[in-house]
Amino acid sequence: MFDTTDAAPFDESFDQSGKVRNAYAAAIAYFKRQGVDGVERMQQSADLSLLNQGVTFTVYSDARGTEKIFPFDLMPRMIAASEWSHIEAGIVQRVTAMNLFLEDIYHEQKILRNRIIPTSQILGSSLYCREMSGLTPVGGVHAHISGIDLIRNQSGEFMVLEDNLRCPSGVSYVVENRMVCSRVMPELLSSYRVRPVSQYPQMLYEALASFSASASPMVAVLTPGIYNSAYFEHAFLASQMGAELVEGQDLLVSDDVLYMKTTHGLKRVDVLYLRLDTDFIDPLVFRPDSMLGVPGLMHAYRSGNVVLANAPGNGVADDKALYAYSPEIIRYYLNEEPILPIVPTYLGSRPKDLKYMLDHLAELVVKPTDASGGYGIIVGSHASKAELAEFKLKLIAEPAHYIAQPIQQLSTHPSFLDQDGDKQFYSRHIDLRPFAVCSADGSVKVLSGGLTRVALKRGSLVVNSSQGGGSKDTWVLYPENSDLITGGNHA
Amino acid sequence: MLSRTARSLYRLGFLIERTENIARILDVNRRMSVEHEVFSELDVWSPILEITHNRQGFEARFGEICEASVVQLLLTDEENPYSVLACLRQTREIARSVRELISEEIWLHINLFYHEMERELTEGNLHTWGDFSERIHMFANAFLGLSYNTMVRGDAWQFMRLGTTLERARMTQRILQIKYHLLLPTADDVGSPLDLHQWQSLLRSVSGYEAYRRLYQAKIEPHRVYSLMLLNPGFPRSIHYSIREVSLALRELGMKNESQYTLYQEVERFLDDLRGGAASSEIIRLGLNKYLNGVSKRCARIDRMINIAFFDSITVTLTNDQSNRLTVQIPQQQQHLHSVSAVKQLNQ
Repeated sequence: MFDTTDAAPFDESFDQSGKVRNAYAAAIAYFKRQGVDGVERMQQSADLSLLNQGVTFTVYSDARGTEKIFPFDLMPRMIAASEWSHIEAGIVQRVTAMNLFLEDIYHEQKILRNRIIPTSQILGSSLYCREMSGLTPVGGVHAHISGIDLIRNQSGEFMVLEDNLRCPSGVSYVVENRMVCSRVMPELLSSYRVRPVSQYPQMLYEALASFSASASPMVAVLTPGIYNSAYFEHAFLASQMGAELVEGQDLLVSDDVLYMKTTHGLKRVDVLYLRLDTDFIDPLVFRPDSMLGVPGLMHAYRSGNVVLANAPGNGVADDKALYAYSPEIIRYYLNEEPILPIVPTYLGSRPKDLKYMLDHLAELVVKPTDASGGYGIIVGSHASKAELAEFKLKLIAEPAHYIAQPIQQLSTHPSFLDQDGDKQFYSRHIDLRPFAVCSADGSVKVLSGGLTRVALKRGSLVVNSSQGGGSKDTWVLYPENSDLITGGNHA
Repeated sequence: MLSRTARSLYRLGFLIERTENIARILDVNRRMSVEHEVFSELDVWSPILEITHNRQGFEARFGEICEASVVQLLLTDEENPYSVLACLRQTREIARSVRELISEEIWLHINLFYHEMERELTEGNLHTWGDFSERIHMFANAFLGLSYNTMVRGDAWQFMRLGTTLERARMTQRILQIKYHLLLPTADDVGSPLDLHQWQSLLRSVSGYEAYRRLYQAKIEPHRVYSLMLLNPGFPRSIHYSIREVSLALRELGMKNESQYTLYQEVERFLDDLRGGAASSEIIRLGLNKYLNGVSKRCARIDRMINIAFFDSITVTLTNDQSNRLTVQIPQQQQHLHSVSAVKQLNQ
């Protein structure tokens, strides 16, 4: 029932000798007891419940706006307590440093004066938001909500792959996937001691509310509308937080105060959770053709009359080229060594790195610095000679536009799939996106869980939902649980 | 509540009511067309196009009027924004956008039916429309039952009720007008089996045949049919009942500004006319068709006023002198905006 032919050097459930890892023993035994038919029934019931609940995303390339469920992979991913405390500490450290970094580059720019990062890297970036300079958000917090993508390499070490400090999405799937698990595999879920994730909306609300001076602030979530691929998440978070879900057309700014239009007139909005790119939030300041934003919003923000989360202009910090400098950023602001390492990164903007990239293209993953969602990525080992040659030209034309990393053997995990008509558990590559929220006092809380994304295509390393990825529930275990299992093993 | 959301809920009530009514009207005509052989000179399909305002578009696209093409236009036509299919798609889209305000049960009900319909459509199984329209009835009535039983009586429910009941009043008025458009072959046919058959079908289309029999026994007299469908306060599809529901919903929503108050007064005046003897004497004075045209105009006016009072009360314009400052125009709402008292109305 478990085919591990495609397993990476590090597999989450099986060690190198093929033995089941402790945390997975009960789960694997459980699925074996269900048999292929049983698991298939569970899968169908999970899919149906997601479709009926409307847990779907819109496929942009389809003119009729077809909705699909984000493929849900039944087998949960386990993270032992000791692994989790390491991840958690690493993320708190990273988000704290990134907030200090953003506050610095929009004010004194000490890190540039001290030549830790080349000035051109920041000020020359299209993502550097001049409108933010000199503007101090409440508490100096820029990244209120962040999602940090982690992978596990050959030796099982967690590494940071990417920061998402603008509007990271996926947290609604974390909560929904758990609900599905509790519906289709209640026995298994209760046999593990899994940390809950359903409290995320309260966590988020409390963090957002902490930035407002008002005792009961009006919090609203700004969505681009129902055609946005993440609309489900926007609606989910708004309703779970008891906040208003608003579109640009529902809001207006008058005398630098943000209001929403209600059936009883105007109501003041204190905190606006932006689920819209900075470029679109205010046509008077950013893209003038944006119909999704609110004219005058930046003025209201500058006057301190509304809190925007996340702050505009964070893109400069999660830019893929800046990523290469992130260990330096942590050392500079916190005077600490990074807890979570990053993947070695070559910058097209550095002549030496560029030469290496051109010479070793077949062994590298090359990514455009300013794109997300897995678009424009080329995986050297998977590209044809012609594709590589064509890409080289692009790289030479715009070297600063690209970064490269050695191809990482992402860890694998069993996934229930149909491969050539044969249904069972096959090894597929996965990553992990934990979510962190930051409060006005600068404290960072990490949700004990996260979105585990799976590359469902055989051999694929790209986990993005827009590129055929799926998701799994992520079970972060309480310490007692893994202690017990380890204890049992020794005996 | 957000104005946009309120409008969506109003539209939700409206769309489901309309969907059901199209199915009802088609049903009546199907009953009539069963006897088509006997009354071959009777054109039962043209009036439908009249009352659903589809005639012009229809002739341009299909030419000759026949059952199959009318049914296609009204049920599954993708280009007709008022086809049942288009209404259901819109319904689902709106439900998705106000999901957090409707009950879980209502959302599941709409979403399930939508997926079922889309699936059958792609599989080409939607041709048996008799069965389809039966399911639309079930869908719409289950929706009303669910909203009655699972929604808190707050603003969300009131806006849905407003949309449902105003559209119901308008549809009952349109159904009554079918009879006007359905000309009898000759004057001798008044009171003939054909005439009676038409009245019966009409009553059936508003689920009113049994109600009529209980009130007036089997003998069908036109003025009694009007009286039931227009003026009866207890018959749930009568115009009187529907407008009273509109008035109740508005009272629950409250009157926070002048335009909301004028709207309420307008509805109350209409209700007074329906309640007292005014309506009966008006019908006699004007004739049924003219009177119904008046009803149609009044409903349209109420719809417009609802839009202004609740959904479109605020407009924003860019001022000329300072391109980065905005002016807000809020008719009759200034008294609620202490904090924006300094609003400049440069464009007036």
